[in-house]
Amino acid sequence: MTAVALPGVRGRQLWAWVRIAFCAVMLALVLAPLLWTVFLSFRTNIDLLRQAPLDLHGPYTLDNYAELLRNQTLFRWFFNSLVVSTATVAGVLTLSSLAGYAFGRLEFPGRNWLYLIVLAGLAIPDQSVILTRHQIFSDLHWHNTYRALILPGLSAPLGVFLMTEAFRAIPRAQDDAARLDRANSLATFWHVLLPQTVPALASLGIYTFLLSWNDYWWPLISATRPAMYTLTEGMAAAQSNYVEVLGKGVLMAEAVVAGLPVLIVYILFQKHIVSAVTGMVKL
Amino acid sequence: MIGRLNRQGWPNLLFALPFLLVYGWLLVYPLLAGMGLSLNRANLFGGARFIGFENYIRLFRDATFLQALGNSLLFVVMCVPVLVVLALGLALALNRATRFAAFMRSAVFASSVLSVTVMTIIWRQILAIDGGLLSHGAHAIGLPALPFLSDPNLALPSLAAVTVWWSLGLPMMLFLSALQQVPRSVFEAAALDRATPWTVFRQITLPAITPALVLVTAYECALQFQVFGQPQLLTQGGPNGASRPLVLYIYETGFNQWDIGYAAAASQMLFALILVAAFVPQLAQRLWRRA
Amino acid sequence: MPNHTQGLEIRSVVKRFGDLRLFDDLSVAIAPGEFFIILGPSGCGKTTLLRLIAGLETVDGGEIRLNGRPIHDLPAGDRGVAMVFQDFALYPHMTVERNLAFGLRNMQVPATEIDTRIKATAGALAIDGLLARKPATLSGGQKQRVALARALVKKPDLLLLDEPLSSLDPGLRLHTRRELAQLSRSLNATFVMVTHDQVEAMTLASRIMVMHEHRIQQVGTPLEIFTRPANLFVARFVGATPMNVLDGTIAKARNGKADFDLSGHKVHTAITHTSLPAGEGWQVGLRAEHVAITAPSATAIPATVDYVERLGEQSWIHVRLADGREIVANETGISPHQPGDAVGLTLDGARAHLFDAEGRGYHAEPA
Repeated sequence: MTAVALPGVRGRQLWAWVRIAFCAVMLALVLAPLLWTVFLSFRTNIDLLRQAPLDLHGPYTLDNYAELLRNQTLFRWFFNSLVVSTATVAGVLTLSSLAGYAFGRLEFPGRNWLYLIVLAGLAIPDQSVILTRHQIFSDLHWHNTYRALILPGLSAPLGVFLMTEAFRAIPRAQDDAARLDRANSLATFWHVLLPQTVPALASLGIYTFLLSWNDYWWPLISATRPAMYTLTEGMAAAQSNYVEVLGKGVLMAEAVVAGLPVLIVYILFQKHIVSAVTGMVKL
Repeated sequence: MIGRLNRQGWPNLLFALPFLLVYGWLLVYPLLAGMGLSLNRANLFGGARFIGFENYIRLFRDATFLQALGNSLLFVVMCVPVLVVLALGLALALNRATRFAAFMRSAVFASSVLSVTVMTIIWRQILAIDGGLLSHGAHAIGLPALPFLSDPNLALPSLAAVTVWWSLGLPMMLFLSALQQVPRSVFEAAALDRATPWTVFRQITLPAITPALVLVTAYECALQFQVFGQPQLLTQGGPNGASRPLVLYIYETGFNQWDIGYAAAASQMLFALILVAAFVPQLAQRLWRRA
Repeated sequence: MPNHTQGLEIRSVVKRFGDLRLFDDLSVAIAPGEFFIILGPSGCGKTTLLRLIAGLETVDGGEIRLNGRPIHDLPAGDRGVAMVFQDFALYPHMTVERNLAFGLRNMQVPATEIDTRIKATAGALAIDGLLARKPATLSGGQKQRVALARALVKKPDLLLLDEPLSSLDPGLRLHTRRELAQLSRSLNATFVMVTHDQVEAMTLASRIMVMHEHRIQQVGTPLEIFTRPANLFVARFVGATPMNVLDGTIAKARNGKADFDLSGHKVHTAITHTSLPAGEGWQVGLRAEHVAITAPSATAIPATVDYVERLGEQSWIHVRLADGREIVANETGISPHQPGDAVGLTLDGARAHLFDAEGRGYHAEPA
């Protein structure tokens, strides 16, 4: 008995070691770039311009972060991102929950066809509609406005899909009970069903926030005046001319400051983000 | 009249209408108009002229476009298999309820929540030949530093590596969620049957997550065809267009040269390519099953 | 001509689903204060009928009147009916109090009256202590009371209950059944309840309507349904075990009653022969408790014990006749019989029912 079991045990131990080694290597690869950036952000610019290897003992400095505080544009970009992302989240949640209620819960002529058309939109990449979308906003003279930065984010169908699923998951008897309680379809939506989709709304909201905050493509095309840059777009401008303007250390500090808010949002709401990204696979 | 409209449920459409309007205005219309635009010679200052498929014919004689197309394909071929294999490996290793596994999952996914612009700032300090982490490392062990971003043969693979680092979290999470759908009892039964880890993987795990595998592959193909920020910020598509993918080509043609009809034709090609990319894995799976 | 009949009246109701005619000319009247139970197997249309009354489905023909008022075209909330759902359908995000108040607010009941009504109803159902809780924190029995309270607080003219006991565990079900019976008596309200459980129907109902394949099979008091089943379906569906049904032929006995010939053995029924139509294809129906097991004898029908179910207070004995047909007999206490035992059967012919070729039932005149 023991003789037969041995190879299996040895095999299992081998796999355990392979697993541990793999995890260790991956963890190092994942964290090293992040730690390196943080490390650089605490070094002086002069130190960073030398070609010599960096001395781990220092000198360390907070000058780069102090410099950031003097930098008004960074705050402006941060503010723009906050406005755009918050408005996008509000818009997506409103439109998606209304549409999700209609598609997931109500009957109307053409419902299934319309839903299919909406789902097909999941396959349309932003890049293939960019030229005409740019023209729409040019014709309206809306470029370099908040509404131009916000509106395209509201046309994404993912939220409708997630909310339709969420509304479908609620037992049908809830609608029946509401009808007997004399609630019309708006009251049923607002008082009975919508409060039951709060977990889905939270996932969608946080996911949308990150997506909007991190969007580079559309702001790059629509917001051409630095005062209208989002933080993400601003970080692109910063890295292409950092040497002339502020120096590498400040750029690193900017990266840390720009990265931290999303990392904090991520750490706080990890569960919601994961459930949003895995939710779209159910398609 | 109104009673009949009510009974058929027309008022219910009002709930979907706000979204449908925005969707039609900013997604469906731009898509269809873009298809129309691709049949015109047009620039930003108006004056579109219908020229049929001339833009498309021109694309296939355009060495820059063909290079970009080739780069995009190459990029996907370099990225996606590595992403899928590493993500699956991580998912298998981390599909357990320990604190370390939870920390590791969070750490891997964390890089995905950074914006592409922050990500490229970080990676430039890794890859740059002057003062990058890798060149520091190379010097330390007496090797010459490599010009990862400025060598025509290294630029695109470097971008692929950066992209794998940045995008690993999502496929890993998707695989983990697929693995968690497999009932525990199946693995326990296999353990009672004295199955080796390899047998368990081949006979139980892999068949159970094949749908997820196909889906993730398709999704990543579609996603990586849309690569833009990494080349635009790290290499500007260079040297000599060696790392310029399709989207960067479309961007430059449309918004630097303002040749928008032509750029629209290129973006239709991208759309077609993405649709194909999304369906090829499904098709391959079907053929595989028949074989 | 206006009709001022009180209670619920369903007249010639038609309901279609696509090409399927679910109900074709269905009529029944329910008096005020009744505890009326619609009994039938799943898929018989009983829930659809309840939903038609509630207004959750619309009728395609006929009319439904409540206390003389036609309600079939009114929206669900305006019909004066309330409903207790199978899985209660409490609003999970609202407290018990808000659950009760929601409908009243929609009916524009003044806030002070909402308060009084909630207090009164909660008191009557002993849920005063739960008003601030959310449904997820309640036990099954508590949820059931809250669901009842939510329905009753609206002071409906008619209370509909859709399998209200089926999501409770067995022990609780018995308890709640008793409470429901007491409640209906004390409230003097009209209850219409749907169930597939014949025990619930027999114990709770003032009248039962048995449905099968979207048709009414019989309407009557529990006693009538049990002792004078209108047809084979009712005979088999109602009762702790299905009635034994065996085919054979009938003949007129000297006393004018019908004799049933069961492969050579005569069963003397108490059914007047002249009340029976001419024809073939007769079947006799006998409940297990009217089949007695004796020692084999010349007068008893010979049979072999097949299988014995001993429940403690009673036993079901499945026996096989010489021709292979099966009969179930009931004995109180723990039966001593073993599979394979040769026994005799004595049938209580006076309690037998006859069914004609269409399955229609004939019974002895009540004594």
